[in-house]
Amino acid sequence: MTSNDTRPEAGGAAGPQPDGAPAAPRWAAALSGLEYKQLVGADGMATLEVAREHLHALLAALKERAGFAMCTLVTAVDHYPKAPRFALTHQLLSLEHNERLRVRCWLREGDEHAPSCADLWPGANWSERECFDMFGIRFDAHPDLRRLLLPQGYDHHPLRKEFPHAGIEPDRLYRQWDKQRRAGWNAEEGATR
Amino acid sequence: MGSLEQNGLRTKSDGGLRPVSAGGLRPVSDGPMAADASGSGFFATRADWLVNWGRKNSLWPMPLGLSCCGIELMAMIGPKFDLARFGAEAARFTPRQCDLLIVAGTLTWKMATAARTIYDQMPDPKWVIAMGVCSSSGGMYDSYAVVQGIDSIMPVDVYVPGCPPRPDAVIDAILKLQKKIEREAPLAKLLGSGVPERDETGTGKLVFQPNHGIAKGVLDKHPHDPKGKLGLSDPQPRKTEIK
Repeated sequence: MTSNDTRPEAGGAAGPQPDGAPAAPRWAAALSGLEYKQLVGADGMATLEVAREHLHALLAALKERAGFAMCTLVTAVDHYPKAPRFALTHQLLSLEHNERLRVRCWLREGDEHAPSCADLWPGANWSERECFDMFGIRFDAHPDLRRLLLPQGYDHHPLRKEFPHAGIEPDRLYRQWDKQRRAGWNAEEGATR
Repeated sequence: MGSLEQNGLRTKSDGGLRPVSAGGLRPVSDGPMAADASGSGFFATRADWLVNWGRKNSLWPMPLGLSCCGIELMAMIGPKFDLARFGAEAARFTPRQCDLLIVAGTLTWKMATAARTIYDQMPDPKWVIAMGVCSSSGGMYDSYAVVQGIDSIMPVDVYVPGCPPRPDAVIDAILKLQKKIEREAPLAKLLGSGVPERDETGTGKLVFQPNHGIAKGVLDKHPHDPKGKLGLSDPQPRKTEIK
């Protein structure tokens, strides 16, 4: 993350605001008792940074008590070679209040797993599968964590920075599938003769 | 047999049947004709020609619409372009009833196993049209996820360029395929004529490939690693043939 990407908001999330600072956001009351840090993204969108242990509780509170009924996107950003490396990002939308909110959770390399939010928003299921496919981030307690876009058994996660720009084709998996299938046919043919 | 040949009923060069009329021999090229002047007799033709005539005018396409080409495919079958004029309007959505696979759109490696299964489930004889640049060569998707031309997983009879091609371009491909079917000899084995059954010019499993001339120079390198820096190049030249 570059330094001008986010900036801490003066005064923090809740509590008495000094003059001139923006008022406490609507959802601050709903999140009382939860640990998070409020920032403003470079695009002006409100952003909450949260540790992995508190991520699921925060998302549940945002959905149940703050009216964020829709999770539009679950994705990640690879900030290699900085550490922590991955910024897992949830984009939330409240249709009721016409508000958007970003929740960011930093994950370290070698320990890239996070709680799944597919139990809160069923639509996040495939978003998390795509995130797993592209970044290799495991989602704990996900109902069906398989690759979404690339063939099963592919060895790489293409949106990681170490993946070569030229790409690595998964045609090896197809050849393997084809070879096994033909071997099965030949065995069947031999058995019937 | 010897006496028949003396009468010119069978020739070695033709290998098939020659039209005969009661009054004697008449040299006739391909095609049916009434041999009897009164119109009530019989007609004679080459058996291969008759089978091919039936095959080429009743192609049953299996539409495999994978992206925007699928929309043009629908337009082609619809009333404006009206594929029924060429006898190929009976699109079926099961490969078991089809003999023409039209791969319309971008084939990803994840979809490749399904596409090949569909091809294998089609009964012989079968033909394949690669519709659009994506299925012909990968098109603009020079990507790790996309098959760089479906001829690397199945034989292709006709390639149609375009992104997407207009419906009339695909109709032209079907006309070209009909010409190709005309050159086949489906009864060659039965009649013992010794000519190859399929006309395999230009198809993927055949000898000739459009890229054959450059295959040694370019295609033995991995398409994403032409200089061999990433260690992706195959030690063997890439071949489209699958054993």
